[in-house]
Amino acid sequence: MIAIIIRIIKQMLNDKRSLILVLFAPIMIMTLSYFVFGESAYVPKIALIDVPYPVVQILEAQNLEILPQTGEMDEMLEAETVDGVIYFESGEIHLKMYELNSMKVSKISKEVLQAIKQIDPNAPTLQIEYLYGDSQSNTFDSIGYILLGVASFFFVFLIAGVSFVRERTLGTMERFMLSPIRRSTVVAGFLLGFGLLAVIQSVLVVIFVKYVLGLVIAGSLLGVLVIMILLAYVAVAFGSLVSTFANNEFQVAQFIPIIIVPQIFLSGMIPIELLPLGIGNLAYLMPVYYACNALNDLMVKGAPFVEVIPEVLILSGLILILFIANTLLLKKYRTI
Amino acid sequence: MSIEVKNVYKSFLKKIVLSDLNIVAEKEQILGVIGPSGAGKTTLIRLITGAIKSDSGEIFIDTVKVPNMKLFSQVGYMPQFDALYPDLSGWDNLLFFGRLYRCKGKKLFERCSKLFHFYDLYEEKDKLVYHYSGGMKKRLSLIIALVHDPQYLILDEPTVGIDPVLRKKIWDDFRDQAKQGKTLIISTHVMDEAEKCDKCALLYKGELLAFDTVEKLKSLTKSNEIEELFFRATEEQFI
Repeated sequence: MIAIIIRIIKQMLNDKRSLILVLFAPIMIMTLSYFVFGESAYVPKIALIDVPYPVVQILEAQNLEILPQTGEMDEMLEAETVDGVIYFESGEIHLKMYELNSMKVSKISKEVLQAIKQIDPNAPTLQIEYLYGDSQSNTFDSIGYILLGVASFFFVFLIAGVSFVRERTLGTMERFMLSPIRRSTVVAGFLLGFGLLAVIQSVLVVIFVKYVLGLVIAGSLLGVLVIMILLAYVAVAFGSLVSTFANNEFQVAQFIPIIIVPQIFLSGMIPIELLPLGIGNLAYLMPVYYACNALNDLMVKGAPFVEVIPEVLILSGLILILFIANTLLLKKYRTI
Repeated sequence: MSIEVKNVYKSFLKKIVLSDLNIVAEKEQILGVIGPSGAGKTTLIRLITGAIKSDSGEIFIDTVKVPNMKLFSQVGYMPQFDALYPDLSGWDNLLFFGRLYRCKGKKLFERCSKLFHFYDLYEEKDKLVYHYSGGMKKRLSLIIALVHDPQYLILDEPTVGIDPVLRKKIWDDFRDQAKQGKTLIISTHVMDEAEKCDKCALLYKGELLAFDTVEKLKSLTKSNEIEELFFRATEEQFI
């Protein structure tokens, strides 16, 4: 097993381009998405109606431009003089927007929530309404954590899948399967070898998004790392499994629309219970869904690590299942 | 210490590749598997190593039925196409396979440098295999089959693309290995290599044309050359 791990690391070091791809492509994607979706110089303009004075004071300290009320709520939104209106009704805080624009919504709700949490840490979340369009969703900074999960999964999957296929086309797989090594040892060696790379990647990208891009990680940073690393291991095992059904590198790439794209759509970016025909239930088959769920809890909702233990168990279980499946599939090379 | 192939049949995609094969390779001997391309040489070799399963019939190595976990450590296998990692140096390729056979530490390093010296590759050991020439890859592949000093050597066309000087050296080494008590099975389509074997199994279109000592096979021909047996087989087909 150690032999396989050493070999994979040496191969990686000799193939600098792939190494750089795995380590830095997720960082590049996160940076790009930061500029595309994220924290632009945009300062939301809001109006306040029936908001208690202490809340107003704190909101003024936030990165918001608070405009005086110039008319009826809907009129203001219609005229687009303001991006959103905050009002209190039966003890709940409401945010009303012109239309669903996840960037604006997330920016406003982030600022407002930050403010409210200063007064009451247990304050209920915002009730968001739209003048046009309707959504029950609380699209709260929905892009960051999903990209984090998807990008990391995608690149590890790709590198691992291609490496396995290459191993099979070169004949090295058949060759070393004729040495006195157990099938399970082979799979474990692969998993740990590529897994090491995946761990480095996860740590790098998480640290980067937190400290350079300033993505808010409200909950446990360690928890985020644990989820990312587990997801990366799933990606290695998945890549290995899929490569069994591919005859060359190009065929691995053909799996991207089948394996990766549905995972992006069903990652929780769009609430799965809203999808018709029960399609959303497919998400329960997707490792990225569980990871994104946990990342959402940890990063956005600030949940403690214990709350994502179910996801940790599911991802670990998936790794175990894929491990067994891979071990069985190696029978193709050696019947014992 | 012999390898026995008993009544082996093998077909791929409904095409019979080997039919009713019976061969024995003895200790201290070199068994040549001779035949034109497509005769079934590689299939036979892969059956013996345990890489593929026969449809029927059995193969025994030292009375143990193939495949068997314990046998793997006693068999050295060189596939027809160089199964090497192009993104590793020759040295790292050898170390990897050596470690799989549980060779370790100083002993492994000594064994590796001895083999690299013997096959004139020592100077190139730190180059990536990607930059190796065809002949160099072939030699490295052969070295890998030898790294754990196996009792049984099963080599699929080991000398293709190797120059005549080195080829002679390699065959002398095969002979030395046999003298040390090893059992060798070597496939080739080069007839003059057949003469360097003790016994030859002549394969033609998946069937065993002849299996005997080299002298005996030669005595069956007018020209005293084994290839005559193949020419005869080809002619019989057209009659």
